[in-house]
Amino acid sequence: MSTLPTFDVWRPVRVRLWVAGLLQAVSSAAGLVPYLAVVELARRLLAGGRTGLWTWVLVAAVALAVRAATTGLALTVSHLADADLQYHLRSGIARRLGTVPLGWFTAHTSGEVKKAVQDDVHSMHSLVAHAALDIVAAAVTPVLALGYLFWVDWRMALVTTATLPVYLTVYAVLVGGYQKKMAEMNAAIGRINTAAVEFVSGIAVVKTFGGTRRASSRFAAAADDFADRFRSWVGPMTRWEGAAQTTLMPVTVLTVVLAAGTAMIGSGTLTPANLLPFVLLGLGFGQPLLTLGFGAAALREARAAATRVRTTLDTPPLPVPATPRVPDGHEITFRNVTFGYAADAPVLHDVSLTLRPGTVTALVGPSGSGKSTLARLLPRFFDPDSGTVTLGGVDVRDMDPAELYRHVGLVFQDVQLLRTSVRDNIRLGRPDAADDEVRAAAKAAQIHDRITELPDGYDTVDPVLSGGEAQRVSIARALLADTPVLVLDEATAYADPECEAAVQDALSTLVAGRTVLVIAHRLHTVTGADQIAVLDDGRIVQCGRHPDLLAADGLYRRLWDSLEDR
Amino acid sequence: MIRLLSAVSDARRAGAVRRYLAALFAFALAQGAAYALLVPILRALFAGEPSRAWPWILALGWAAVVCAVLQYTQAVLGFGVGLDLSRALYHRLGDTLAGLPLGWFSTDRTGRLGRMVTQGVTQVMGVPAHLLQPLVTAYVTPAVVVLVTLATDWRLGLALAVGGALLAGTYRIAAGLTGRADRAVDDAGVTAGGRVVEYARAQAVLRAFGRTSGGYAQLDDALRAQHRAGRRLITGTVSGQAMNALAVQATYTAVLVLGVRLALSGTIGAADLVAVLVLATRFTEPLVLAADLGGALRIGANSLRRFADVFATPTMPEPAESAVPGAPTVELRGVAFGYDDRPVLRDVSLTVPAGTMTALVGASGSGKTTVTRLIARFFDVDAGSVLVGGHDVRDLSTEALMGQLSMVFQDVYLFDDTILGNIRVGRPAATDAEVADAARLARVDEIAARLPDGWDTRVGEGGTRLSGGERQRVSIARALLKDAPIVLLDEATAALDARNDAAVSAALRSLAGRRTLLVIAHRLATIAAADQIVFLRDGRIAEVGTHPELLAAGGDYARFWAERNRAGGWRLAGAGER
Repeated sequence: MSTLPTFDVWRPVRVRLWVAGLLQAVSSAAGLVPYLAVVELARRLLAGGRTGLWTWVLVAAVALAVRAATTGLALTVSHLADADLQYHLRSGIARRLGTVPLGWFTAHTSGEVKKAVQDDVHSMHSLVAHAALDIVAAAVTPVLALGYLFWVDWRMALVTTATLPVYLTVYAVLVGGYQKKMAEMNAAIGRINTAAVEFVSGIAVVKTFGGTRRASSRFAAAADDFADRFRSWVGPMTRWEGAAQTTLMPVTVLTVVLAAGTAMIGSGTLTPANLLPFVLLGLGFGQPLLTLGFGAAALREARAAATRVRTTLDTPPLPVPATPRVPDGHEITFRNVTFGYAADAPVLHDVSLTLRPGTVTALVGPSGSGKSTLARLLPRFFDPDSGTVTLGGVDVRDMDPAELYRHVGLVFQDVQLLRTSVRDNIRLGRPDAADDEVRAAAKAAQIHDRITELPDGYDTVDPVLSGGEAQRVSIARALLADTPVLVLDEATAYADPECEAAVQDALSTLVAGRTVLVIAHRLHTVTGADQIAVLDDGRIVQCGRHPDLLAADGLYRRLWDSLEDR
Repeated sequence: MIRLLSAVSDARRAGAVRRYLAALFAFALAQGAAYALLVPILRALFAGEPSRAWPWILALGWAAVVCAVLQYTQAVLGFGVGLDLSRALYHRLGDTLAGLPLGWFSTDRTGRLGRMVTQGVTQVMGVPAHLLQPLVTAYVTPAVVVLVTLATDWRLGLALAVGGALLAGTYRIAAGLTGRADRAVDDAGVTAGGRVVEYARAQAVLRAFGRTSGGYAQLDDALRAQHRAGRRLITGTVSGQAMNALAVQATYTAVLVLGVRLALSGTIGAADLVAVLVLATRFTEPLVLAADLGGALRIGANSLRRFADVFATPTMPEPAESAVPGAPTVELRGVAFGYDDRPVLRDVSLTVPAGTMTALVGASGSGKTTVTRLIARFFDVDAGSVLVGGHDVRDLSTEALMGQLSMVFQDVYLFDDTILGNIRVGRPAATDAEVADAARLARVDEIAARLPDGWDTRVGEGGTRLSGGERQRVSIARALLKDAPIVLLDEATAALDARNDAAVSAALRSLAGRRTLLVIAHRLATIAAADQIVFLRDGRIAEVGTHPELLAAGGDYARFWAERNRAGGWRLAGAGER
């Protein structure tokens, strides 16, 4: 058994991201050329020259075209990489989730799964599609421009960048301040989110108990509290930041450059034409910094999302045996099974139970006694912490899952019909089943007549069915799959009180001749079972047939007596 | 954008928003004016007379000071406006939600609302600071530059003006392209999202029927469709962005070509031309930046729009003055009601006299739940009227109506509070003894005994630490404690859990005769004990009467009763019995 390597989120698109970055670098460099062209044009025009002008116009035009083309290409490459990566990750997550223990889906809601597959992957968009390009642009443009400016006149270049250290110093101090407040701020945001979620989800309750005004004022108070704290923390920093930004403003830099330049031209140490590059290129140094600042939030979110995606992809799958074994017969044994959802809180203690082929075994007990958990170990929703569950003499962990599910069928209270035709829903376990087989199963499950009343009969997609009708479709499904072993939730029969008789008849048909493990909520429905296991606090305290258990002085009789008044 | 901003903020904040926008415009104007000073300065320098440049540089210095002050002012104001905006959003949301009909709060809606509140507000807060400023600068500063250029050389000015118009045009087209592609991606995302949810929910079934090893075709298809839509979006976005970039650059090149031609023909001085070319770079830069921000702006606008949509939801009309409910009776008179276009109830009339129990019986989908919801005014009827305490519910204030009703419905929400605290929600002024009584009656004491901190155990957000049945028992205790004269109760889920069943029985026993009861009944004992049974079929009342009367009538109810009794005796046959 080998553990799968951890998923490298980026690997599939790394090369393409490099290509996009390179294209962006070309684009950034090309973006500087028109400025150079203007400088050269000016040099010639101011010198009264008439030659070579069109060459520089052409150079500028070509550079602009190159820039447009490479920008477009870079974006295309990075966006295509992003789309492909999204698809790759989504199907990867879906594949992985198809192999994790079923119990994982008990601990994670379908909303969380959707968030992982859809929202988190989508949040990575800015990271993949934009961040690399933005960083390249923010680095290449200023470096090349500065190089050029220093080459033209190093003194003016120093003057141009004189205000930058001021901003950077203030900024560094501010970032330190932000980080100190970050934890407090996140806590405050957490509080307001809790208040919001509770207000929104609980408002129906609040309204019925006449506390709307109280609740909405509590909610408003949380919002005000957050706003006040935010203002007192971030407000002063905003002032500093606002003040610091004025040093990077193009107008500020322009004033400094022109004043210094005019002085140098006056003293004859600078030609007017050599002042131009600084007026053209010197004003934009602040911009990439600000752009990066704006992108930083999106980037942080994307990185957090990438971590979550990776965690999801790294969920350990249900171990699959290297050399699967095939069961011999359908006898099922639970041998000294201990299991808990959390490490230190076992739900089942040392449970042993044997299900003989072709018999019905009922699990009964007070709620929380572990009967549903025990039943779920057979189809491997979870694996026991110690002890074994065997089918036909083979540990279920040593079987190929597909083989296991060919033997074990499930009918639970919580029916899941898929958004495909009724026909495909019924033949889910046997996609190649013929139409008359599907119809026969539907008839046996007492749902055929209802299906024919649907707008498109068996081809109806996403039909409107009552709870009991959906139950019968799921029973037809189990009938057609025809597994020799069945795990059944008896509550299924009561999902829809109005047609429980029909569901019950369908269930009676289904269990005939199979090895059945039934989670029983009502005692009288299982009085005919071949074996009743009474669970209490995760242990089997009694096991036998109904008359024997009733005769004995034990939990079963107490349960029976307490319910007799119905 | 600005319209949206004022739609979601209220009149009190409008002043601050206006001041902020004024500072923003003033800043952009001042910046444009400062750039304009380039022309005389460069003229002087290129003419070889640096001394003539100094007065202009001094003016530029002052302009820079003005810009700095305005920039600082707008940054500080922007922060305040963002904060005020988020605060105003929360307050208005609170007020609006308080006035919306209960029927509006479906699970789906509350989920979306929760996300909107937690994510949307921080997004909205950043809109003024990060997005409005570059946008305003992008429009106003270039406009000033165009004016100055027109004054310097009308032909070049005209070229810039035409270029500006061209840019605005392409920006719109590009936004349209991106928008269309966006919607396609959204739709594909919704479909795929639905499949993902289905895939997760149906995992046990899919696996049990061997459908995950080879991949689940429906999900694969949906993901592939999403992928395709995503790739199509790229064509939209990239061509949109490329169009923007091309238009900016075409304008710049056109000015360059025109300028050189003019200079060669001697109709413009070299110094003027160079000054204009320098200005033209100031013209294009903010435009490119604004085009880049388009996407972020759309996201911000979308969150604003979601808030505006909620604010625009019609609230339940409240009477100016509430009627005072009389004896606790419930009456429906010729009620018709439907969700959207699907009629659910047709011409339903029934009376629940004070102090009696009425059982609502019928197949699922026959309209039982809707009847109770209309009584609690989750929705207003389409025709007819609902009377509680002798008055139309529309003439009662929410408080007066809710004062009459206790409800135990299927979907139960508990607050992240202790068990005791959650029960006390029913009547905050209740004494400890009263709370304890209600809790015992609803069998909540058994839950408390099981939990580590007993009555003081926190139940987790939404009550997640309790099972569904346990949550319902807490809600029964809550309703008992409230002790309102009319009780609406849905038995549905009670049937699945023996302890719940007992809690419902005890609650009904304690209320019978003392309160007016309307029960969506599933248990045969409840139905048989009712003073009146109302049998609903397809949204109409099929039969009304007492149990013996209806049995004797031999109609729908009699058949229903026979069927239920047969079901009640059902048992699974073991191998030994076959």
